[in-house]
Amino acid sequence: MRKLFKGGIHPSACKGLTDRCAIEVMPSPAIVAIPISQHIGKPAKVVVEVGQEVKMGQLIAQCDGAISANIFSSVSGKVKEIKVLPTPTGACEHIVIENDGNDEEVRLQPIENPDSDSVVDRLVSAGIIGMGGAGFPAGVKFRPTSPVDTLVVNAAECEPYVNCDNRIMIEYASEFIDGVKLLMTAGKVNKAYIAVEDNKPLAIKTLNDYLTENEIDDIVVSVLKTKYPQGSEKHIIYSATGRVVPLGSLPASVGVIVTNTHTALSTHYAVREGIPLYKRIMTVTGEGITTPKNVWVSGGTSYNQVIDFCGGTKEGKRVVKMISGGPMMGFAVAGGVYACGKTTSCIILMTDGEAFTGAPSACINCGRCAKACPMNLMPMYMDAYSRVGDWDGAVKYGLNACIECGCCTYVCPAKRTLVQSFRLAKRELRGRKK
Amino acid sequence: MDNLTVSSSPHITSPVSSTRKIMFDVIIALCPLVIAAVLFFGYHVLINVLSCVAFCVVFETLYHMTAKKSFNKKGILSSPASDLSCVVTAIILALNLPATISVWGLNIVSGGQVIFSFDTVIVCALGSLFAIVLVKQLFGGIGKNFANPALAARAFLFLTFSSAFVVSQTIGLGFEASTGATWLSGNGETTGDVLLRLLIGNVGSGAVGETCVIAILIGYIYLSVRKVIDFRIPLMIIGWSALFALLFDGLIAKGLGGVDLIFNMLAHVLSGGLLFGSVFMATDYATTPNTFKGNCIFCFGVALFTMLIRVFASFPEGVSFAILIMNCVTPLIDKYVYPKPFGYVKPKKEVAKK
Repeated sequence: MRKLFKGGIHPSACKGLTDRCAIEVMPSPAIVAIPISQHIGKPAKVVVEVGQEVKMGQLIAQCDGAISANIFSSVSGKVKEIKVLPTPTGACEHIVIENDGNDEEVRLQPIENPDSDSVVDRLVSAGIIGMGGAGFPAGVKFRPTSPVDTLVVNAAECEPYVNCDNRIMIEYASEFIDGVKLLMTAGKVNKAYIAVEDNKPLAIKTLNDYLTENEIDDIVVSVLKTKYPQGSEKHIIYSATGRVVPLGSLPASVGVIVTNTHTALSTHYAVREGIPLYKRIMTVTGEGITTPKNVWVSGGTSYNQVIDFCGGTKEGKRVVKMISGGPMMGFAVAGGVYACGKTTSCIILMTDGEAFTGAPSACINCGRCAKACPMNLMPMYMDAYSRVGDWDGAVKYGLNACIECGCCTYVCPAKRTLVQSFRLAKRELRGRKK
Repeated sequence: MDNLTVSSSPHITSPVSSTRKIMFDVIIALCPLVIAAVLFFGYHVLINVLSCVAFCVVFETLYHMTAKKSFNKKGILSSPASDLSCVVTAIILALNLPATISVWGLNIVSGGQVIFSFDTVIVCALGSLFAIVLVKQLFGGIGKNFANPALAARAFLFLTFSSAFVVSQTIGLGFEASTGATWLSGNGETTGDVLLRLLIGNVGSGAVGETCVIAILIGYIYLSVRKVIDFRIPLMIIGWSALFALLFDGLIAKGLGGVDLIFNMLAHVLSGGLLFGSVFMATDYATTPNTFKGNCIFCFGVALFTMLIRVFASFPEGVSFAILIMNCVTPLIDKYVYPKPFGYVKPKKEVAKK
C-alpha cells in the first residue's frame, strides 16, 4: 500500500558523487580510539585494562543496563589507554588500542538453526544497534511489548549525499536479504517491506531480481516516492504500510518494527558468521573531498584517517563544514579528531557553495515552513514562542511532535535557525519536567 | 581545514527561496500593472511610483539608522531596504493613488494641463511615511506589521484628502476617453460594453493600479506559477464576493433578475479594487493567516465586508477597509485555527472512577 505524507521537501540529492563507487575496505589504522557510547542509552562498561592484549572482535565494553550495547575491538593489539575524549555530541570514555597489524580474530559461535530467541540474544551479544543514526539497541526493539506483524526495513536513505545503504543493497543483496529474514524470525513477523526511494533504480532492480530468483514472497520491495524525510520512522511506516503511528507511541503500537539496512546486514554477519558489530560501511563525500568513496571502516578510526584514505581535501577548495551524518540531520563537527562509531553513516566535507553559513533575517510569516512540515506543525509560531520563552505556546503549535527533520529550516526564505531553537526549547522543557 | 563552522542541522538550504527573491517576484508581477497604468493615465503614474519607491527606501533606511544609532555608511548599507519589501509596499501604494491629486494647488500647469504636480509628490511622501514608519517599523518591521502598510497608508490618505481623491482621467488608448464616474459610484446601466471596458481598464478609477483586469491577471498567474502566493486565496475572495454581490446588491438592493443580475455581479467583481486587492494585498504574508483553513475564514471575511460596505455603506468602495478589518482579525484566527499534527489522537476523556 503506497501512501504519501503531506509536506516534505525535495533537496538536490547530491548522491551522484558516490552512488557508483563500489565499497572499498579501508585498512585498520595503527591506532584506534573506540568510544564506549555509540548508542542511545547508558554507555557500556569497560571490561579491559590498560596494557591488556585484545583480539579483533573481542568484547571490550559490556552492555550495562536495559538500554545499552556491547562494544567490540576492531583491531588486534594492546590497550594503550582509556580516557575521556570528545564525541560529536559531547564526550565519553574511549578505549585506545594500538594495532599490532596481525588481525588475530575471535568470533562468536555461528547459529545453526536460528529461531526468535537465539537471534534476539545474538542481536544483544553482538552489540547490534539501529545503524541509521539514532542507535537504538536492536535487541530491545525486537522484544516488542505489543504484538507485531510487519517488519519495515528503512532503506529510503532520504538524506542527500549518503549512499551506504544504496551500495549495500547493490553489492550485498543476498547477505542483506538473509539479514532481513533473520530479523523477521527475531520479531516473529511474516511480512517485511524493504522501503526504498525511487531514486535508487539499480538497488531496486538488484533486490527484485534476487527475490524472484530465490522465490521469496514474504519480503516485498516497496518503492517510495523520493521526498525528504521519507526515512523518518513515522513517515516510512505510513508510506510502506499506510498505518499511522499515534503521537507519543512506538511503531510497535501499530504492529510494526522498523529497522535499518545496515542493521540487517550486520545481523547476517553476527548470526551466520559470528562476527560482532565493530565495523561499518560509510560514505565519505562532499565537494571538499578528493576522491569520494564508500568504505568499510573499523570502529574507532578517526574522521581524519578516513578523510586521508579518501585522498584528503581537494586542492583549491575551501572546506567550511565537516558533517558527521547527512546534511539534513547530521552533526557539524569542528575537526576530524572524532572516532567513527556504529552510527557514523557519512562524513561530508562541504565547501563554500554547498553549506549555508549566512545569517538569519526576520521572519516574514510566509508560511513555507508550515507547508513543508511533514508533521503538520506551525514552525513559525513554535520558533516565535520558543525565543521568548513561552513554552506553553510552543507546545500548543506542536513543539513536542517535532522530529527535527529540518524541512522548515531548509525552505525558510529568511534562513531562520528554526530547528536550533526547537532543540533548545525541548531541552529547556525536559529540564523543567525533572 | 581550519575555521570549520559548527551549527545545528540542517546544513543545506533551499537555493531558490530568499526574502529578496520573493519580493523581487512580486515586483515583477506588479510591472504589468504599472505599465497598464502609465498607458491609461500617463506619465504621472510613473512619477508617483518612482517617488513612492524613493521615499519608502529613504524612510526605511533613516528609521533603521535612528533605531540602530548608526549614522554612518555602515548604517546605510545594513538597511533592511535591501530585502526589497519596502519597494513592494511603495509600488502598491503608488498604484493605490489617483494619477494626480490636487490639495494645495502646487502644480506646474501649461495650457490647462497639469505638467507636474508637487501636491501628488507630497502626498506620496506622506503615504510612504505612514506606511513605512508608522505601520511597518514601529510595530517591529518586516513580518511584524499588524496591517498591510500600503493599504493602511491608502486608507489614511483617502480619509485625510477624501475630496482630492477624485477619479483620474484616462487618456484614451484608442477608446473614447472616459471621464465619467466609476461604475461603483455611478448608477449606470450594466451592459456587455461596460463589462468589456472594465476588463480592459478604460474607465476612470480612484486608484490607477486597479483599472486593468488583464494586467492583474498576468500578475496573478505569475505569482501563482512562482508559488509566491497561494492561488486559492484570490479565487476564494472573488467567489465569495460574487455570491454576496448577487445576494446583497443584485437581489436585495436592486431587485434585478436574469441577465442583468449576472451582469451586475460580473461588474462588481471586475470593478474597483477587488481583483487588485485580492491578488496583491489579501495575499500579504505578515497580515494574513498562516493556515489554509485560517485563510478560508479570512477570505470569507474580506468578501463579506467588501460587499457590505459597497452596498449598504456610504463609501462606493470597500475592499481596502475590508482587508484592513480582516488584517486585525488575523492574529485571532491564527490563535484558534491551527493544524493537527501527523498521528494526532484525540485525548480520551478520562472516565471518572467510581
